[in-house]
Amino acid sequence: MSSILSNEQLAAASLSALPKIGPKRLTTILKYHDPQTAWAVVQGRAKPHVVVAALMQENGLGQMWRANATLSLQQQILGRCKKASIHVALISEDNYPRCLKNDISPPAVLFYQGDLQALATRRVGMIGTRSATASGRYMTSHLAFELAMNGVCVISGLARGIDAWAHHGVLRAREKKSASASAIAAAPVGVVASGLDYVYPKEHADLWRNVAQAGALVSESPPGAPPEAFRFPLRNRILAALSEVLVVVESKDRGGSMITVDEAQKRDITVLAVPGSPRNIASAGTNMLVQQGCLPVVNVDDILVALGLDNRRANDNSFDPRPRLAESDAHVVAMMVGAPFTLDEFVMRTGVPLLEAAICLGRLEALGWVINNSGWWEVIEFGQRYS
Amino acid sequence: MFASVRSATLLGVRGSRVDVEVHAGIGLPGFTVVGQPDEVCRESRDRVRAALLSCGLPWPTRRVTVNLAPTGDRKSGACLDLAIAIGLLAAQEVVAIDALANFAFVAELGLDGSLRPVRGATPLVLALTDRMAVVAPENLAEAGAATPAQVYSAKNLLDVVECLSGRADWQCSKSFDLNSGQSTSLNRDVGADATALNSRDLADVQGHPVARRALEIAAAGAHHLLLVGPPGAGKTMLAERLVGLLPPLTDDEAISTTMVHSSVQLESPNAGLIRRAPYRAPHHSSSMVSMVGGGTALMRPGEISLASNGVLFLDELGEFAPSVLDALRQPLEQGIVRLARARTSVVMPAKFLLVAATNPCPCGEGTPGVCTCDDAARARYLRRFSGPLLDRFDLRVAVSRPNTNELLSPERGESTSEVAKRVANARQIAFARFKCANSALTREQLDAVAPLSKKAEQRLRRELEAGHLTGRGYHRVRRVARTVADLNGAPEVVDDAHLNLALMMRVDLASGLRSRELVF
Repeated sequence: MSSILSNEQLAAASLSALPKIGPKRLTTILKYHDPQTAWAVVQGRAKPHVVVAALMQENGLGQMWRANATLSLQQQILGRCKKASIHVALISEDNYPRCLKNDISPPAVLFYQGDLQALATRRVGMIGTRSATASGRYMTSHLAFELAMNGVCVISGLARGIDAWAHHGVLRAREKKSASASAIAAAPVGVVASGLDYVYPKEHADLWRNVAQAGALVSESPPGAPPEAFRFPLRNRILAALSEVLVVVESKDRGGSMITVDEAQKRDITVLAVPGSPRNIASAGTNMLVQQGCLPVVNVDDILVALGLDNRRANDNSFDPRPRLAESDAHVVAMMVGAPFTLDEFVMRTGVPLLEAAICLGRLEALGWVINNSGWWEVIEFGQRYS
Repeated sequence: MFASVRSATLLGVRGSRVDVEVHAGIGLPGFTVVGQPDEVCRESRDRVRAALLSCGLPWPTRRVTVNLAPTGDRKSGACLDLAIAIGLLAAQEVVAIDALANFAFVAELGLDGSLRPVRGATPLVLALTDRMAVVAPENLAEAGAATPAQVYSAKNLLDVVECLSGRADWQCSKSFDLNSGQSTSLNRDVGADATALNSRDLADVQGHPVARRALEIAAAGAHHLLLVGPPGAGKTMLAERLVGLLPPLTDDEAISTTMVHSSVQLESPNAGLIRRAPYRAPHHSSSMVSMVGGGTALMRPGEISLASNGVLFLDELGEFAPSVLDALRQPLEQGIVRLARARTSVVMPAKFLLVAATNPCPCGEGTPGVCTCDDAARARYLRRFSGPLLDRFDLRVAVSRPNTNELLSPERGESTSEVAKRVANARQIAFARFKCANSALTREQLDAVAPLSKKAEQRLRRELEAGHLTGRGYHRVRRVARTVADLNGAPEVVDDAHLNLALMMRVDLASGLRSRELVF
């Protein structure tokens, strides 16, 4: 049978699809048995190692596994892998990412689509909130774009908000590089919580496919696994482990991004944060990180310096194509930068009469300095000064 | 013997004449009502008999047939009681038949013979202007509100008989003169909370400079207004204050509004013509019938007719049934609602100013970065409002929560009376042009009266090219800009500033959902 998976890989993949087998238990079993013996052990056809036997005594795990470890489960896994061209990397194998091998809690079995060679360069994790502000989204895609242009691999989680825009930025950089026929930009890498053939969120189906095609999609969950809540912190651990530097663009003071930050700090990985206005709730988490001593990121050079790729003299990327503002407009923009605002707030904070305010915002919108989303205005900033 | 007495019944918001023909002939004693009476109408036989006997008047011991002509239409309600009783008396020659030729009778009878008020006195009497209408004393003011003729009244059936034979004098309504407007009962408010509404002044509103201006523009140009904002931002408070900005109703408007309100509920005894714009705020569980009208054989007017010439406020727009909201579209366009049923069809006024309030998304916050809704949930929420309905709101304004400083500030805003002055002024300018509010200008009229300055034209061109405006939206923006210019004392050309404000007050609710071009 010519197959996408070797027998060893298939046995390990099937093991990971058993109920209640977390990364820890899987690692324990595969530590004392090779995958095929381990599969025989859970089926009851082979004698378990003492440690494994003790594990299988817990809460009737052994019986549950024996009931589930059937040939049809194996065939199901194989079928799903074939259909979605999902590959498996075992920790003992050569194609397993080297950066994960020495981790404190590496996944024993890693599923991936695309090419893991994407990870064979400098790597930056980029994370943040699902409900991002417009300027957060622009900042993310801008940073990701610049990093990819500089050959740095951007790793993110394919979630809504910041994650998605990080991938968008990388994909745009590849488009641009391939158009100019110069060296190819770094490839995008997505680390997801669900099985690789289970697209979540659904609206990211295109993005999901594009990332897998251009770079790699990685998951610890077996194909077909739904995005259950417990899988997300586990995913965050892999994302942190794969990164050399972790950048938080916009985050509230708790939530998934903060879990990833904790995982990164456990591993002594540098965490950088993009500061925001104290008025902006979506930046509460990143501001807290800066307060605690994380270095702030205001443009891509800050990340490159953290990676030891100081190229501030090499090129002049921080060019803003927008026309400079007149003094009065610059003053107004400086007043309103930060949190999104309504026209009401604009008038009250700046004291500009309503009719003039309307003209002013209309002009700034035309120049690309502000944007309107469903009635809320935001100043678009790239970290440069306004005047 | 035979007698014919004039009366009227209510259909929709209009009275229709009914001739009550009474025939008392030879045969077994009996009493039949023919000519499509409804249940209440048929029961009048027992009320009339008791009333006659209580007053010591004779009940015929003959075969009595009462015919309600025209027989083709269905008759509803108890307003024919008095006419039937008078007809019976005339058929027995207690009352002279000749004396009835100039009279019409619209009242319900109590068992003791007293005259009781009926719903819809104003439209009923208005259908009987060629006769001297007799109503219950409680109905006198309401009945006389809109008719140029005098209206008469007496306490009970016996008094009516005395008055008809000239032995006593009628109680009369004040002579009504539209032009003098002297009567004290002329300026009255509508609804139970009318006085409460009166005391609601714009001066109470802290902050909200944009929403205040939006109210002013809405009132001046009759533009429909949508307020979008988080809970507690003050959307309801603002909407309640719009009605105070509208000018008093004109004669025609006042009569039409009074007719609608009269046909729905009994007014207080000293009710007169409604001069102030009505305000209706139906709950979001309201049914289709309660909104557009219909329901019974009477074809009761709905909330949109009750709000005619005034404000219809729909709080929590997204919670209304989609079918109810879409039913508003045709009345919004035509200013009337035409209801057709198998037996009848009626036309009722529905020229209202629509004000609606909604949250921007399911969590209510809306502000990017604070809102916890994902895009799919927000898209689903927005799908509750059909595009054509949203398109009819010329003004769509985001309202934010006032901050602590504004709430505690002792400074009061402009009062309703000051703003109302500007509104009246702008309305005058608008009506002097084409006798209609700016929102009703046709495209040709718009080109004639709202020429754009060079800058304004460029701005509009940019919006159109960016795909932010549709063809219809383009004209709507120009109408709003026309009103803004009127309010700012620029009756000629529409300037860049006016146009910008009109554009800012036309929030695209879905714009946050579209991913935009990336900027690098």
